[in-house]
Amino acid sequence: MRAPTPNETARPPRSLGAALAQVAGLLVLSAVPLALTWSNPYWVNILATAYLFAALAAAWNIIGGFGGQFSLGHGVFFAIGAYTVARLYLDLGLTPWLGVFPAAALATAVALLISWPTFRLRGPFFAIATMAINEACAALANYSDRITGGPRGILVPFRAGLANMIFIERWKYAALMFGFMSVVVLTTVWLRRARLGHYLMAVRADEDAAAAAGIDVLKAKLQGMALSAFLTGIGGGLFAMYTRVLDPPSLFALPDIGVKFALIALIGGIGTIIGPVVGALLIVPLENFLRGAIGGDVPGGHLIVLGAVLVIAALFLKRGVVGAVMAAARRFGGAR
Amino acid sequence: MQTFLDILLSGILLGGIYSLVSIGLNLIFGVVRIVNFAQGELVMLAMYATYFCFAKFGIGPYYAVFLVAPLMFGLGLVVQRLILQPLQNEPMMQIFATFGLLILFENAVLAITRGEGYSLAGSYSRAVIDIFGLKASLSRVIVFLAATAIAAALMLFLQRTMAGKAIRAVIQDRQSARLMGINVARTYLLTFALGCALAGVAGALLAPIYTLSPYIGGNFILAAFAVVVLGGLGSVPGAYLGGLAVGLMESFAGYYVDPALKQAIWFIIFVAVLVLRPSGLMGQAGAEEVGLREQS
Repeated sequence: MRAPTPNETARPPRSLGAALAQVAGLLVLSAVPLALTWSNPYWVNILATAYLFAALAAAWNIIGGFGGQFSLGHGVFFAIGAYTVARLYLDLGLTPWLGVFPAAALATAVALLISWPTFRLRGPFFAIATMAINEACAALANYSDRITGGPRGILVPFRAGLANMIFIERWKYAALMFGFMSVVVLTTVWLRRARLGHYLMAVRADEDAAAAAGIDVLKAKLQGMALSAFLTGIGGGLFAMYTRVLDPPSLFALPDIGVKFALIALIGGIGTIIGPVVGALLIVPLENFLRGAIGGDVPGGHLIVLGAVLVIAALFLKRGVVGAVMAAARRFGGAR
Repeated sequence: MQTFLDILLSGILLGGIYSLVSIGLNLIFGVVRIVNFAQGELVMLAMYATYFCFAKFGIGPYYAVFLVAPLMFGLGLVVQRLILQPLQNEPMMQIFATFGLLILFENAVLAITRGEGYSLAGSYSRAVIDIFGLKASLSRVIVFLAATAIAAALMLFLQRTMAGKAIRAVIQDRQSARLMGINVARTYLLTFALGCALAGVAGALLAPIYTLSPYIGGNFILAAFAVVVLGGLGSVPGAYLGGLAVGLMESFAGYYVDPALKQAIWFIIFVAVLVLRPSGLMGQAGAEEVGLREQS
């Protein structure tokens, strides 16, 4: 993959305290809009979605950003998480608070199973293979009526209650998603400093050199994928209880789910800790705004803008908003 | 026996469709090393252009192809020059860019047509011919013949002409090709535009077969990727035969297993080929890694 610029990987690690302070600041900052609008259901819904997708983009970022493995198949882990939580809740009455763990474990198992052969592929080939797996799983989900409800999908009935993870007040969902986002972001803070994180970044920079340096490349990739899929599975479970409608077209839709994770990470800054949060807080409200502003008059109008943003970001914003801001700050700092 | 032959024929004709769509994709993929996720949408654009030619000017699809293909060639030049060439050494950003184009094209057409389904069906799709007692739709037979002719012509072009030899040299080793005085950037530009023109041919010839929808590209792209992986990176005969193989597999699986599972068949093909022979059945061994190692 793309060779990272020196200051991307060789940046001297800050002290753990400084990193945690930075992330805490980011989290407090991202909670401000919720504190301001908590009684307005329209904004709270947007924020809940933004927090959830920030978490999912951060989870994708573990293998896609730090590891440089461009997965387009994370919709599969997301869907497995969603279906498992819903099924456990509907069939066995298991509370989603516990249901997310078997769901995430199953997502991890499937991730390892499909990653083991596909990790032989590099770059674009890996992306194609994971996209194909996403489409094949969508077909399977449509087919297996008894588990997924087929094309009609599953409807989780509205029974409000803390144990059911179903709330009347929308801000509680936003708070839940915010908590999940915090967990995922803190996980990436840990990963960035852990041995596995350094292995993954070495693999991204040069797989052959990493192997020559004694890194078990496949093992590092599989561990990164396992962590990423585990968190994505939890996110899928939360999504299931949040929307309470699960059907294959919306769970496996690439522009809305699988590629969205990568897109948010790109806009924010791939391979950075705060990038996914920044990206989600920009993209999700923007999309909602565009859908409201032009989606009604021009069908698909908001997606035209989103597609253009994607192309432009790929051309001119390769390091994301975070990268651009940091570069500007450096230039400004250097000029003084 | 009759059923078997019917399925065989429909599989071959379906394979012709996949071959036609895949040849352009594989050419781009093999030479420029860009995974063009928007290839299916290029076919879709060409289908709409063909429909437009027919509805506005009364030009039938089999004449419109001579208009649509050059148009798509021009679009290819623009896309490669403005968007993909600046991203030459960044595979990750290429994926974003072509996926952005996919979303852009799809929804631009949706916005213009307001989601109305167009159809060229009529005299073109209803004509049926007899092949040894088997009934076949004429428009599908034309697609199959066109795919065969294009594959043969492209092979001749790659084997015999100087431009074709330059393209093959770039497939094998872009650095050495550059040292031999080949203008690699121009070869990319030409190849990408050629791949887009082939998408144009495919779109024009497929327009009479399908009901047009902005999302129709999705029907082709995954099959086309399966064909590319199966047939081998940058190999024209690989794309042609791979297309036939995928068509046959889909057709037989659809009849003997379950029509709803035919997509899952691609998945099995994918994983089997990826595990056994990542460079594809007719590709150069190791080709799947060479280009990327060079880029990193």
